[in-house]
Amino acid sequence: MSIPPVSRRRFLATGTALLAASYVPDWAEAFQPGATDDARRAEAAEAALARAAALGASYADIRVNRYRRESIATRERQVQNVSRSTSYGLGLRVLVNGTWGFAATNVVDPAAARTAAEQAVAIARANATLTSRKVELANADKAVTTWANPIKRDPFEVPLETKTAFLMSLNEAALAVTGVTFVSSQILFVDEQKYFASSEGSRITQRLVRTYPQFTTTAADRAAGDFQTRAVVDRARLMGYEYVEEYPWLKDAEKAGHEVVEKLKAKPAVPGRYDIVVDPSQLFLAIHESVGHSTELDRALGWEANMAGTSFLKPGDAGKLRFGSNIVNLVGDRTQPGGLATTGFDDEGVKAERWHLVRDGMFVDWQTTRELAPLVGQQRSHGCLHADDWSSVPFPRMPNVSLEPAATDVTLDDLFRDIKRGLFVEGRGVSSIDQQRYNFQFGGAVIREITNGKLGAMVRDAAYQSRTPDFWASCDGLGGPATYRLWGTSADGKGEPGQTNAVSHGCPPARFRNVTVLNTGAA
Amino acid sequence: MLNREDALKICEVVLAHARAAGADDANVSVQSSVASHARFADNRVTTSGRSEDLGITATVWTGRRRGAATGNDASDGALKQLADDAVSIARVSPVQREYVPTLGPLQYGEGRAFVAATADPDLAARASALDAVLAACRTAKVTGAGFHNATASATAVATANGNRRYFRSSEGALSITARTPDGTGSGYFAGDHFDLAKLNAQHIVEQAVGKAVRSRSPKPIEPGVYPVILEPQAVADLIGSLTGSLDARTADEGRSAFAGKDGKTRVGEALFSERLNLYSDPMHPEMPAAPATTEGIPASRLSLIKAGVLENLEYSRFWAQEKKRDATPGPVNYIMEGTRPPTSLDDMIKGMERGLVISRFWYVRLIDPRTIMLTGLTRDGLWWVEKGRILHPVRNLRFNQSVLAMLAPWNVEAVGAAERRSPLMVPALKLSGFAFTSTSDAI
Repeated sequence: MSIPPVSRRRFLATGTALLAASYVPDWAEAFQPGATDDARRAEAAEAALARAAALGASYADIRVNRYRRESIATRERQVQNVSRSTSYGLGLRVLVNGTWGFAATNVVDPAAARTAAEQAVAIARANATLTSRKVELANADKAVTTWANPIKRDPFEVPLETKTAFLMSLNEAALAVTGVTFVSSQILFVDEQKYFASSEGSRITQRLVRTYPQFTTTAADRAAGDFQTRAVVDRARLMGYEYVEEYPWLKDAEKAGHEVVEKLKAKPAVPGRYDIVVDPSQLFLAIHESVGHSTELDRALGWEANMAGTSFLKPGDAGKLRFGSNIVNLVGDRTQPGGLATTGFDDEGVKAERWHLVRDGMFVDWQTTRELAPLVGQQRSHGCLHADDWSSVPFPRMPNVSLEPAATDVTLDDLFRDIKRGLFVEGRGVSSIDQQRYNFQFGGAVIREITNGKLGAMVRDAAYQSRTPDFWASCDGLGGPATYRLWGTSADGKGEPGQTNAVSHGCPPARFRNVTVLNTGAA
Repeated sequence: MLNREDALKICEVVLAHARAAGADDANVSVQSSVASHARFADNRVTTSGRSEDLGITATVWTGRRRGAATGNDASDGALKQLADDAVSIARVSPVQREYVPTLGPLQYGEGRAFVAATADPDLAARASALDAVLAACRTAKVTGAGFHNATASATAVATANGNRRYFRSSEGALSITARTPDGTGSGYFAGDHFDLAKLNAQHIVEQAVGKAVRSRSPKPIEPGVYPVILEPQAVADLIGSLTGSLDARTADEGRSAFAGKDGKTRVGEALFSERLNLYSDPMHPEMPAAPATTEGIPASRLSLIKAGVLENLEYSRFWAQEKKRDATPGPVNYIMEGTRPPTSLDDMIKGMERGLVISRFWYVRLIDPRTIMLTGLTRDGLWWVEKGRILHPVRNLRFNQSVLAMLAPWNVEAVGAAERRSPLMVPALKLSGFAFTSTSDAI
């Protein structure tokens, strides 16, 4: 069903008239660092590395990063907030006698950089008594280069009213559906300009641009004191403004409007065991939680025990443990086009790569960094070190982790075909998983019955619950290459102090047999 | 960190630039912060560092059009650029229907939540404290992981209408997870205080180690509804979903657990046990908070739940104006206390016929805002109690439980003394029923 464009007259009537003149802020140009800025950044980095070496650091690396963000938030027919932010600073990591120290400051000049080096070295020395094992780093190639993700249109050069009008049209498309009472939408653009320098000679300049559109529709029945929501929040990409222009967002908004109205009237799910087909819009999250986090080597080694937890996988399990059925192939991939965790080089200068975590159902490899790789006998890092800010200590973070599709053209209907009693799960619902990534419970935004191979009515308050190895062992059907989609989460939390990471997961729809389904609505 | 004079001077400079650029109204905030941490795992320090930053935000209105810009560069050119950017954004933004003029001059209490030494912890003293923590873990033959953190910030605000304020806060925190080498036992304990010197590292490590040792080799039990004792950490892990639901606007709009039928809210209803109070108080001796809300309303004691009755919801300045009432002077923190003399954890256990003692919860998520239905798992210490005694550790369980039902008049049997779990003060609770839906293999 097509969506009529929102007319100029309707915009005026709804009080969202915007200035007609195209506007590119001075800010957009002022932000672009010039040659002087680049020189000052390099000068500060060299000063820090030299000072760290003079004070006895055996290794040091520095990130001098500039972040630019623009966010627009709307609800119904009004813009609620437009804000822009910039942040610039440096963070230096040193290794002294096998112990790490780190210091960061928002002042980027040689004097402040030298002070940071002194602070980082002092921290490493003070903690010398707390070290039972000296840190050793896997070898990495020296790189002196630049990298940027390809973008067709820089979102920071798009007039503000164009972006605002996009969100307003999105809201109108949802509000045009009878029964939709609220809609909120937001868009965030992030521009990371990163400079990395190490005592081993690497000098890497990178630019990453991400676009995060999201919206939520709500249908409320005030008389009954009841309401339902349908959120579309996991579509962020490492892309420019072309993502807004090329994807059919208005169709999605209208669909979400119809879905939330239907959800308010949907019958409660009947708990029990079902064959389920999980759409990429939800399966990405199941992959993230049960595969992405369990294959982090730092978790398996207990480094996250106090916060995110450990893993049901043990350091010696690679190559020996069955993770799922033999059709399950999962890859770590920091090169996947559009992936939120895609990069040219990680935050210790290791080139991005793609590798198997699970092959033919067997768990075969870990996510690693230069510090982690030697601990499982590997010579090279898979490039998973990341800091979410110049002020954050870089530490192991998840690459894009993706499920490979079937080799043949399996369709969604093919996956439904032999299911007698099943459910089709789409979109993010509530997710929760234990600290070793065994037991999980995932809801969906939209869940429909499958009866004798046919998709049926929507049900509400359903969530599926399983145990990671059982769940992946029960996978007996994957969609083909044409059904493969990339979804992502923009705020994955880990570490202390807490950091957030944006990461994508590609997958086809997949079928899982005999899975426990709960009704979560019963108080 | 910036002192009052320097921080407000930056505010004034940005305000002047904003006015010169054509702003009719403006709010400028300057936050300077410093943070120091040491993280350890596998009985050794893994990362340790410090960071300093500045956050300068100009929010301006031209007419009723709003623009906001944030930066971390306090140089003269950058401050002018920041103000100009905010005004430029405002000029091309639509009219903000929810505009409320910025605050004028107001009197604020003195903040009590700042200790200078916490902002700049002594590295040798921290190493010595952590050395003792790791030694305690080694002696008990458990593996220790944890996080020592000290943070401080100073926030200055100036508005075009004459409001000026400056507050500082600090916080020191230590959390420890101890795990037994066989991987069958795990214990967690944490403490925090606005004065780092008041953190009792020895007590924290003893609790964590004790829980790890006592939780070894847990036995599975069938999921179901059981009586439970929630330790303060477990209460803290659940109560954020309740405090997050206390907003008046979402209730008025029919979108929260406190929305009644026919467009009313549930204020005045005895939704909770008469054994419980919940309030906010910036001057609380253990858990002091900023003397102003984030919108700048001078903070004072605000009762939210009184003897089980939902007494107040939070009104923002805009929503208060819409509803022709005052914005609420909080919440700036949340203190949950019993209405009767507290029951100790030991007495709660002695009085339990059969049920579970729960140390903490993990990965708690809101499933249904209508009932504040949560799911999550127990973690780092779960025990079976029979006839007033702890019998054995229990394998972790997943729960699906409504907070409204959990704190309902019929479900709360006893309330402990409130303990600090920043930004909350929460007691242990003894509850008649708590619903578990599956078991977990995780330790």
